[in-house]
Amino acid sequence: MSDILRQHAEVLYATELEALRTQDHDKRPFNWSMSPQSVVTYLTGGTLKNGLEITPKYIGSRRLMEIAVATLATDRALLLYGLPGTAKSWVSEHLAAAISGDSTLIVQGTAGTSEESIRYGWNYARLLSEGPSERAIVETPVMRAMRDGKIARIEELTRIGADVQDTLITILSEKSLPIPELNTEVQATRGFNMIATANNRDKGVNDLSSALKRRFNTVILPVPTSIDEEIDIVTRRVESFEKVMELPAEKPALQEIRRIVTIFRELRSGITNDGKTKLKSPTGTLSTAEAISVVNNGLALAAYFGDGRLNAADLAAGIIGAVIKDPVQDKLVWQEYLETVVKPREEWKDIYRACRDLGA
Amino acid sequence: MSVHILGIRHHGPGSARNVRAYLEALQPDIVLVEGPPEADPLLQWVGHDQLQPPVAILAYEPETPAHSAFYPFATYSPEWQAISYARSRNIPVKFMDLPLTHVFALENEKQPEPEVPPATDAHHFDPTALLATADGYEDAEAWWDHMFEYRRHNEDIFDAVMESMELLREELSSRNDSMNQLREAWMRKLIRQAEKEMYTEIAVVCGAWHAPALKHMPPAKADNELMKGLPKTKVACSWTPWTFERLSTQSGYRAGITSPGWYMHKWEHPEDNGTRWLTNVARLFREKQMDISTAHVMEAVRLSNALAAMRALPMPALEELNEATVSVLCNGDTLPMQLIRQQLIVSNNIGAVPDDVPKAPLQADIEKHQKRLRLPLTADYKDYQLDLRETNDLQRSILLHRLQLLDINWGEQRHAEGKGTFKEQWRLQWEPALAVDVIDKSCWGNTITDAANAYVTHMATRNRQLKDCCRLLENCIPADLPEATATLIHSVNNMAATNHDVVQLIDVLPPLVSITRYGNVRKTDAGLVLDILESIITRICINLPAASTHLSEDAATALLDQYYAMNDAVQTLSNPRLITQWQQALHKVMNDVQSASCLAGYATRLLNDSRELSAETLLQTFSVAMSVSNDPTAAAMWLEGFLKGSGTLLLVDDSLFALLRNWMQQLEEEHFMQALPLLRRAFSAFSTPERRQIGEKIKQGSTSTTVTNHDTYLHTERAVKGIPVVMQMLGYHLTQKKPENA
Repeated sequence: MSDILRQHAEVLYATELEALRTQDHDKRPFNWSMSPQSVVTYLTGGTLKNGLEITPKYIGSRRLMEIAVATLATDRALLLYGLPGTAKSWVSEHLAAAISGDSTLIVQGTAGTSEESIRYGWNYARLLSEGPSERAIVETPVMRAMRDGKIARIEELTRIGADVQDTLITILSEKSLPIPELNTEVQATRGFNMIATANNRDKGVNDLSSALKRRFNTVILPVPTSIDEEIDIVTRRVESFEKVMELPAEKPALQEIRRIVTIFRELRSGITNDGKTKLKSPTGTLSTAEAISVVNNGLALAAYFGDGRLNAADLAAGIIGAVIKDPVQDKLVWQEYLETVVKPREEWKDIYRACRDLGA
Repeated sequence: MSVHILGIRHHGPGSARNVRAYLEALQPDIVLVEGPPEADPLLQWVGHDQLQPPVAILAYEPETPAHSAFYPFATYSPEWQAISYARSRNIPVKFMDLPLTHVFALENEKQPEPEVPPATDAHHFDPTALLATADGYEDAEAWWDHMFEYRRHNEDIFDAVMESMELLREELSSRNDSMNQLREAWMRKLIRQAEKEMYTEIAVVCGAWHAPALKHMPPAKADNELMKGLPKTKVACSWTPWTFERLSTQSGYRAGITSPGWYMHKWEHPEDNGTRWLTNVARLFREKQMDISTAHVMEAVRLSNALAAMRALPMPALEELNEATVSVLCNGDTLPMQLIRQQLIVSNNIGAVPDDVPKAPLQADIEKHQKRLRLPLTADYKDYQLDLRETNDLQRSILLHRLQLLDINWGEQRHAEGKGTFKEQWRLQWEPALAVDVIDKSCWGNTITDAANAYVTHMATRNRQLKDCCRLLENCIPADLPEATATLIHSVNNMAATNHDVVQLIDVLPPLVSITRYGNVRKTDAGLVLDILESIITRICINLPAASTHLSEDAATALLDQYYAMNDAVQTLSNPRLITQWQQALHKVMNDVQSASCLAGYATRLLNDSRELSAETLLQTFSVAMSVSNDPTAAAMWLEGFLKGSGTLLLVDDSLFALLRNWMQQLEEEHFMQALPLLRRAFSAFSTPERRQIGEKIKQGSTSTTVTNHDTYLHTERAVKGIPVVMQMLGYHLTQKKPENA
């Protein structure tokens, strides 16, 4: 086990990627490390001819992944769109890892992201001493991806200011990055493409201009459709967390995960699972990713402060933290849910008590 | 001599093309097609210019036309292609399924009340699902499409179908019920017959499932044994226009397909790689003001082709095209797909049938009218606004009303905008199922006038409910049926005379009143109706006060609505004699202590509204009703009745408002506390904005009263000192009581 806190996808799943690459007999697009079919298999899981089990990275519709991969195989960029925590970045990382073998060419979009961090910057010491030259240029991940014919990733595209976003238009349509200072340009090598992610919950974001939107194919990643699918996602991700964190706690009982997922789904959809009672929804999104972190959090609590077994008390703090994002409104929503839904459920007594004890 | 069996699915561009190609190559001298032999004479029409698919063969029992079956055909139905091939080559073509005369009779035996049977053979469980699952498809439909419909090179395709069906039949032998066995026996019988008639190349087009049963012929004797003694009934057949909407599975057609419009596209453009389809999609979006550029279409075509390549398909199918549409044209939003689904994937196509196809006389008459009045059949709904002052529009309206009377619901009358009674708004949409309704009513007459008259008269004599008769009368007047109207008026009059139920009498008022209003535009004689109306109102006015006493709360509330309707009717007629009668009745209700409180309250209100009460009387009645000694519930009900629906009225009518306010102001605190819940209850019926505005008005009013209070400010202590003097002057003794108003 290496001492890296979180390995990149291409390192973590190196064996799977290697196996897929060697087994692959379909046609590969230029500069792709494997065929589109294999990329889809890598994402959605399957069994190879030599019996190696490929773990599913994305649990959900295979067709969606096919659209995403097919998009990247044409010269259109891919925009993954959805609520926070619907595995957008996760899918983006794995797509880049599978296609280019490199998921590190990433630009994090923020309100402060400037053109220099997307196109190129200058090494000012060198610029001053030598004047403008190729050597004085600081390459961005996007520029490197273009040179090497790899997949560049932009996280939270809509957080970037509209004027900065539009620098992408030339890159995506002309596939070139002009450097007017040197009267030259970087032309993208075949295999270059871009995956951007954006979430549709945030307010005050910069909507894409229609010119830029036209360069992207949009794939909306939905929240998991069924409770079993969601439980499956949480279970798998929690297991991999345990592996990384070397937690001594016992494997989380499916029962506990099911309860967390149920709470999250009910609050998210505003109706109980049996469809009988309407609920208020809290302001947060309560995504699957949050459910995963609640379980992880609970596992850590159980391991270091508890008896090593995940129980309701370990989870309560995490749940409350995830649900109550607005201290006034959400608190009322949660209390209502606790009293009207959790309390009457016979087998949920422990979780009710644990939440009550925490005073929320 | 040889028999060629072509197993097909009922609708599919690939199957249709294969059948056509196979027949062209084979050059058979007779074609047998799965379908009812009764419809054989109808086949001569195939090839006629005016017979445009989608059309259906409608077969029904003339005795009970509701017992019917449809055999729909689209251009891309293999059966249609086989028939039109045979017609174009002038070779015999015959239907070879079990005759409907037996099928209907068998169904009649089975259940005494015949239901509408499935249109063609029903796949309760799609047997191809087994093969699809084995091949890794989730959807049997998609599997069949990819295996057979989208294929462009189809050598030996029918052998492949035959083999797979043989396998399936072995697996699922239980699915072969007695009806299926009978049908297959009959098919074999016709094949043997064709062989006997010395035809050398016999082409047989049938559902894939039946193909193996026709290949392996058992001895004729066994089949004949099976078909012995089948019951019989009469069957009539006709062509009728059909729609794509009804071809789709959504409409409940069990051999239906999910995407008739897409199949049509595949039939017309088998080589389309999505370009043409997506261009159509883009054009449709543009029509709906969505910005879609040509570049969008190019990208969508590319994506759909890339998806097809990834899924190892030679060409993008509907799923790939839809996914590309969502991803590229709609930015991931699936909502616009509903438009695509409705307009392109299902697509609203309607077929046409030649005028001289044999039809029931009533049907022909209706079609004649439709043509004359320029009301074409459309699959999509179409709105008409009729101006009844125009002759043509009046005729149209009469036709539509007549059809409605006959329960043939082609048109739906909608609320017409604007003022005046001379306008009518209609929405027309033709459903193929309406053809059955037309035939169902054929027994009532050969023209629409005769049929409507006869049907209404029949209904009038059968109906014993006054209300239903009046409704019928209301519908009958605009349909211009003098005979039926006369009968109806007669029976309404008789029923009204013997009816003791005031509620029922009031119920029939609104329709009758609206008839008298119609009279102006339609030149019908409203006088007759007016006479009945007057007698009915008089009867009501006499009986109502008694009927309003000793009622439970629920009954009283129900009657309250009747009061409203009644008042409305009387006001509309604006006949002074009737109004006086009505007001007398209201006075009685108001003054009778036995009247249900809410009715008494409402009666007071109505009288007040028509300025029949003096201010004092009103105040007095109000105070009496709201006195503390009254039962609080009764008082609340009274107030509720009094204020019924008058949130806005309270705002506008200052005297009413003042009455309520004065009464409240003079209440002492204790009484006020008791009255408060009652008021709250009465006010809860108003809408929120009304309540808010009333609140504001009260606020304004109270400030103004404080101002006046300020002007005439009373020094209470001093005033009290003066009271004895005043009292003495008035002849009162001090011991009696303090003045009430403080």
